[in-house]
Amino acid sequence: MAARPLAAPVMRNLLTLLMLLVIGLPFIWMILSSFQPTSVLINPRELFRPDAFTLENYARLPSEANFLLILRNSLVVALASTAIAIPLALLAAYSVYRTRYRGRQTVYLLLLVVYVFPGILLLAPLFKLFSMSGVLNTWLSLIIMNVTFSAPFSVWLMRGFFTSIPHGIEEAAAIDGATDMQILRRIIVPLTAPGIVVTGTYTFVYSWTEFLFASVFLIDDSLKTLPIGLEGLVTQYSIDWGLLSAAAVMTALPVVALFAFAGRYFVEGVTAGASK
Amino acid sequence: MSTTGSSAQAANAETDAAGPKGSAVVPVRARLGRLFAAPIMIWLALTIALPLGYCIWISLTNANTMGGTPRFVGLANYVTVLTDGTVGGPFLRSLAWAIGGAIIQTLLAAGAALLLNRRFAGQHIARTWIMASWVVPTIVTAFLWRWMLNADFGVVNHVLQSLGLIGRPIDFLGDPDFAFITVTLVNAWRWFPFMTLLILAALTRVAPEYYEAARVEGATSWQVFTRVTLPFIQPVLYVVGLLGTLWSINVFDIIWLTTKGGPLDMTETMPVAIYERAFQQFRLGEASAMSVSLALFLLVFAYCFIRFVPRGATEQEVI
Repeated sequence: MAARPLAAPVMRNLLTLLMLLVIGLPFIWMILSSFQPTSVLINPRELFRPDAFTLENYARLPSEANFLLILRNSLVVALASTAIAIPLALLAAYSVYRTRYRGRQTVYLLLLVVYVFPGILLLAPLFKLFSMSGVLNTWLSLIIMNVTFSAPFSVWLMRGFFTSIPHGIEEAAAIDGATDMQILRRIIVPLTAPGIVVTGTYTFVYSWTEFLFASVFLIDDSLKTLPIGLEGLVTQYSIDWGLLSAAAVMTALPVVALFAFAGRYFVEGVTAGASK
Repeated sequence: MSTTGSSAQAANAETDAAGPKGSAVVPVRARLGRLFAAPIMIWLALTIALPLGYCIWISLTNANTMGGTPRFVGLANYVTVLTDGTVGGPFLRSLAWAIGGAIIQTLLAAGAALLLNRRFAGQHIARTWIMASWVVPTIVTAFLWRWMLNADFGVVNHVLQSLGLIGRPIDFLGDPDFAFITVTLVNAWRWFPFMTLLILAALTRVAPEYYEAARVEGATSWQVFTRVTLPFIQPVLYVVGLLGTLWSINVFDIIWLTTKGGPLDMTETMPVAIYERAFQQFRLGEASAMSVSLALFLLVFAYCFIRFVPRGATEQEVI
């Protein structure tokens, strides 16, 4: 057991490194592949040829995958969903964490149920309801469902920010003569700014990723979002792996960039959320 | 000012209000609270409760995707889906998928969380880094693994072959013997980082004094783990297990995008079967009957789980 004090930390560092590689290597491989011509990619004897480096796959994206259009569609849907989810979740979080009233527990429980609600269950009825109300085949149908499934979880993500504000801060402000709206605007909203970042990140990522509803609700090619556009490339008879790698990199890039910026708040928000 | 007039007693009571259930609630800004809860409740009523009710109605009719006036058929759809022998397979696969997935993900997540809970250079970067597989769109994950696991020119087969571990390439996603476990692992790769975050949240709550006290008493690392760490994270492990199981059962996209439920239906779980019945066979009534049955099952499962788990554990973690 003499070696233990030294060996254990080394072991742990190696395991940590292994874990980071398991997550990271597939992405690195995808990025490397996107700079190779398809002819090299589908050659069983060649894995990678540094001298065959090319930007051709990226250059082909706008013309062959109509990439700019579906990129724009995804942006519009994700931004609109985020814009609606933030105020909804913010208000609900205030209600659940900073006030007390009969029925509050029920509100919280209903929000919890939505986290684990099977989206597939709603697919058929929503298809019918949306088609009757003319919402089918519009971005609105996606935006509505993105908010439904991301706002309740965002409420939970913001728990840490809301519960970390000392109790009684509203009372103190009220004694100084501030109205409810002033309290919210001047005290709570600035204090929960990181919570807004967390909600925004979560909703944006959720919307950017959403596949199930987008695959059924959008019919026109001109409306389709990135996951659906990419699936169109995947299911073609012969797959153009080079083009697809480039499309996948470009699809992942915006959320990865967003997360690189906001991820720290996100991770700290959730982990701090648990500590009282 | 009626909402803010409740003063300091109410503020003190606030900390207690979450505790004993059923006791009278001391209102704190009650009017504001109700007002602020209203938008999301109305939103969810329209987008979840309403379609849910409609789903139950559709399940009692012969509705299809094409249109036409649906006719009430009673429980005929339930009888059809439960007796025509097409649901047993997907149901069992969903069970295996969810339980297997929950075990793999909880173990991976617990290990990862323990590793990330230490202080080391770059711990913030590491914590954000591991979220990558969760952040990236499922379509990208699906493509990535289809590409790397490809039988003809995938890097995984290439490496395994050059190491001499396998003689000929394995079609991980196309071979009925491998497809199910492969998709389970791909899904675990996608989801375990998020579970890690939830467990990490519980670990950060363990006060350092407990560890110090254990060290002073001369406890080994294993003893510290079983006597200090584990009791602290046990409640959140239950929650992660429950959430992981329920989330897994609902997973559709990663399966659809990697295997479309194949080969030979080996990866056709309940959501895939429902999707196919609704949007490939256009039998909405039957698909809805399957959905409602699945939802009832989930409800019973969640209820049993919460009853089985030590009282208070789930509430403490989630609420």
